[in-house]
Amino acid sequence: MASLTGYAAVSMILFSLGAIGVVSRRNIFIIYMSIELMLNGINLFLVTFARYHFNMDGQILSIMVVAIAAAEAAIFLSVIILLFRTKKSLDTDMFTELKEGSE
Amino acid sequence: MIDLVFLALSFFAIAGGMTMLFYKNPIYAALGLLISVLSIAGLFALLSATFMFMVQIIVYAGAIMTLILFILMFLNIKEEDLPPEPKKNILIALGVVFMIPINLLVLEGVSRLPESDMSIIENGFGGIKEIGMKLYTEWLVPFELISILLLVALIGAVVLAKRRDKERLKNNG
Repeated sequence: MASLTGYAAVSMILFSLGAIGVVSRRNIFIIYMSIELMLNGINLFLVTFARYHFNMDGQILSIMVVAIAAAEAAIFLSVIILLFRTKKSLDTDMFTELKEGSE
Repeated sequence: MIDLVFLALSFFAIAGGMTMLFYKNPIYAALGLLISVLSIAGLFALLSATFMFMVQIIVYAGAIMTLILFILMFLNIKEEDLPPEPKKNILIALGVVFMIPINLLVLEGVSRLPESDMSIIENGFGGIKEIGMKLYTEWLVPFELISILLLVALIGAVVLAKRRDKERLKNNG
């Protein structure tokens, strides 16, 4: 069970759940959490292959991914606060400021 | 024994992800993601990545999830603020149909790799000393670039969250 294929299956399922969440939900918080879940799936894949090849480069790459996720959390959440302040909504369909032709 | 732990952890990871996908209220979704993140930390421990296990718990469960829950409670989101999602289930079904072939393709490729022993190693593989040696010798430049990125994110968050002068004038007048 706890073989290479098992770990790869779990990480692919987590990545797919995140991708499905990004395309199917409209709440911007859920979209952000789906992105985090995708990053976690990728981390699990990297660490699995680091163990498989007995090489720690994969683990170091996943540490980098965690650092980028932390930076992303800071920026994304402050943008969410700004958008919620101006629009009073969490609906991604409301955020069309940059769309061509919107007032 | 390890198989049993692996099954339990992967079940909780996937169940947490499903919770996040299906619940309407973002607080429940955040708690589901928290369960998922902690289970992934356990899977890292099974893969003998002890430092990643600690980083996952401290950074994800400790910092990022707490920040998300804090912002959720800070914004005080009511039920009527949540966007209506009438087509959610159809879109989820379409996404599943789209993602299953990709998953099968990747798993087909992975299952053809030669089998290898995935048990826990005890000679310090993935420990803090070995990771540190590698990070500060071979990966020094990417490490410094990441620190600059974190600084930029810090400044960006402060600038974005600051109240603008124009906005203040509009609110007062």
